[in-house]
Amino acid sequence: MLVLPKLQLEDVFACAQCGYCMKRCPVYYFLGWESTSPRGKIFALKEILGNDGRLDEQSIRKLGKSFSTRFFNCTFCGFCREVCHVEIDLLEIWSKVREILYDHEVVPESIIKLSETVKKSKNIYMMDNLSRTDWITYTGADVNFKDSAEVVYFVGCITSFSGRVQSIAQAVSSILNSANEDWTLLKDEWCCGHPLALSGAIREARVLALHNVEMIESTGAKKVVTGCPGCYLALKHEYPRLLGKKPRFEVLHSSQLLDTYITSGKLVVPKADITLTYHDPCELGRISGVIREPRVVLQSVTDTFIEPEYFGRESICCGSGGLLKAVNPSLADNLTQRRYGMLASTNAEVIVSACPACVQALAQTATAIQNGKRVIDISQLIAEQLGLM
Amino acid sequence: MATSNNFLRELVNKLGQECVSVDSLEKLVYAHDLAALPKSVKLLFNTTPDAIARPRSIEHVAEIIRLANEYKIPVIARGGATWGFGGTVPVRGGIILDLTGLNRVVNLDEKNGLLTVECGVVWEDIMRFLQETNWELPTYPSSALSSTVGGWAATGGIGYGSLKYGPFVKNVAKVTAVLPDGRVVVADDNSNPNLSQLFGSEGILCIFADLTLKLIPKSEVERPFMANFSNFANAVMAAQEVLRLTNPHSLVLRTFGFVRAKDYIESDTYFFGCFNGNRYDVDRQHLTLGSIVNRYRGYLTPEDEARREWEERFYTLRIKKWGPSILGNEFIIPVHKILDIVKYCWHLGNQAHLDVEVEVMFISRDKALMFQLFLCDERKSIRYLTEAAITKKVLDAAIKAGGKPYGYGLWNFPFMERAEPEKKRELKSMKGVLDPQNVLNPGKTIGAELMLGIPLPGKLYSTFMDGVWVLRKVV
Repeated sequence: MLVLPKLQLEDVFACAQCGYCMKRCPVYYFLGWESTSPRGKIFALKEILGNDGRLDEQSIRKLGKSFSTRFFNCTFCGFCREVCHVEIDLLEIWSKVREILYDHEVVPESIIKLSETVKKSKNIYMMDNLSRTDWITYTGADVNFKDSAEVVYFVGCITSFSGRVQSIAQAVSSILNSANEDWTLLKDEWCCGHPLALSGAIREARVLALHNVEMIESTGAKKVVTGCPGCYLALKHEYPRLLGKKPRFEVLHSSQLLDTYITSGKLVVPKADITLTYHDPCELGRISGVIREPRVVLQSVTDTFIEPEYFGRESICCGSGGLLKAVNPSLADNLTQRRYGMLASTNAEVIVSACPACVQALAQTATAIQNGKRVIDISQLIAEQLGLM
Repeated sequence: MATSNNFLRELVNKLGQECVSVDSLEKLVYAHDLAALPKSVKLLFNTTPDAIARPRSIEHVAEIIRLANEYKIPVIARGGATWGFGGTVPVRGGIILDLTGLNRVVNLDEKNGLLTVECGVVWEDIMRFLQETNWELPTYPSSALSSTVGGWAATGGIGYGSLKYGPFVKNVAKVTAVLPDGRVVVADDNSNPNLSQLFGSEGILCIFADLTLKLIPKSEVERPFMANFSNFANAVMAAQEVLRLTNPHSLVLRTFGFVRAKDYIESDTYFFGCFNGNRYDVDRQHLTLGSIVNRYRGYLTPEDEARREWEERFYTLRIKKWGPSILGNEFIIPVHKILDIVKYCWHLGNQAHLDVEVEVMFISRDKALMFQLFLCDERKSIRYLTEAAITKKVLDAAIKAGGKPYGYGLWNFPFMERAEPEKKRELKSMKGVLDPQNVLNPGKTIGAELMLGIPLPGKLYSTFMDGVWVLRKVV
């Protein structure tokens, strides 16, 4: 059974075992054992795989559980790849291993449940997918469904269903309206498939990708906007690979759209007397390279913007990525608390992020402690400043 | 040697279940350091530990060592495992002590510039910590992004800044060490054993628990430089002149392959480094550097490129991307012998059809740390073994030229008798007194042991490697 194709196998052997990745890995920070670190996992792969990258079926099943524990205790934050001495695409290797584990049904129980849920209900919450747009009623947002539009707003599962962050959808909608954008929601949006890709369920992710692309392209939209970095990553980077072709639309994160509006003068945001700090979501900042735009937006709102310890490409994961919350919720909580601590220690009044998962996790931590900071999404901040919410 | 169940039970009782692992995958990933072991070598040693312990305090470390003495179990201390000489690789199983959990900054004496840290602190964390103070580190290793303070004390202790401020041992005020019988002692320059005896003892005499580092006041400016040369000899001569006329913080010279890994460097040979201190002094030295580089037909790169290279200084092994494996060795040689050794490296490379690359880190006006390496493929086991013989030939030549290996560990132990006979005698005698049961890191540095504790004669090893080299040349 081929576990790793040649290019990735060469990378496994090229690993310098320098350990630069360990120092950055937020999971290793808490677990501390070598086998939980990127270096340890690469070494284990090297020792176990044949020189041709193959492993027999029996060994996969035998090693499956211990591999599964290590490879799913990962937030896919990409910091290991960022600091790699020999520039190994570690995220690509982690994905490939998860795919093999999934194909051999040796993934954690929670991952099986999650993928079954998404396959069945087309969202990560096992909700009736028809209720995906209920947030419109709950928030009172002004939304029109159109057959064709210039822009599609792809809301994503977390923002659509999770009460704590549905106001992000309200904020993005009101901003699109305020900018007189010709936009619509999809009539039948499905999960972007990113959680399935992270589970290793690539074939199933492809089904979702196909549906969403068809839905978006049927509107004739030239742009798709999303406030979720996971959806952004899926639409922009994963779909072309899954489908073997580039979809006929441009993908923008809401922070990029805001940057365009503010820079072009389409939106004029009044300054606020407020101290802000910003948490870069891993999938948006380090992995997708959207680092400048959110800062341009925030600096248009305040003159007192404070960077936290570790920011931009070096941002530390808040624990919401890689399905860690499903696999190991207590570890994910530890990561969130660590990151929240760094953000809070800037003494900023408000912590801003650009991801519903990050906002949700950090806000939960903030509410669990005395005098916790306010945590909001960048679109909420702008919508509030514009008096839209 | 199978570690007894009683020992493991007691270990768990003392440390707690969460600090001990006997998981098979865990044991697998602790059975290595930076270097890839040829498969044939793995047959000779039992490199898989019986268990791994992650102590949370000095008391834990001492408890483990006392227990190991009771059961005669080998204890191998491990920090970042960024050394490539097999120092943290077990040879007959035993317990690996993963010390990375002892990573607290204990105290900063702001007035006297002394910083006490636990052994598992990574150098980069100290640098980060000191950013907010008026102090900085005089010297740090080239693997500072992952190596630990205790690990560097146990091994070479030469790195960036050693040219100006001396080796690590000269920049330490005192240490708390756990001796092989479990005693916790404080050692300094005047204690018995003293710092010079314990530093570089490669984990066979003690485990460093915490260290008090001497800091230097923060430099007013730090000005990196880089100069390109088309001729290696000119670069070496220019570097010698730089050492004579200026006082750089660091000066590192690199050839070929190291250059290949950088898209912003065009020449075949370059050196880079940094001046630090007050602005006037630094600028004056930079002017002198410029005229030296001109004289030797090199050219100084723009400041931004120099700064980029300086910021890249911890990424020495980028070249490995093209390997996928590397083989190499590090040794200290007289500066006036650099050209001879490099020519010899290239000669061997020609014979073996390999490009041998060289990095030279100057550590004083007359001594340099040379890192020689070449690309190879560990998956081709026999070929890999024959290529390993080149590193032995280079080391032979370096010793003949008045040099010595940078470390011994498992791979270089046969060279100690020739390179540093007095140090070997002293280490052996101290080992006999301090560790009569041979518990701490057995089978390293002063002599190797195969699995089951069978001694491996250095001469046999040397003869075997010579034979392998002849085989390589013939075939």
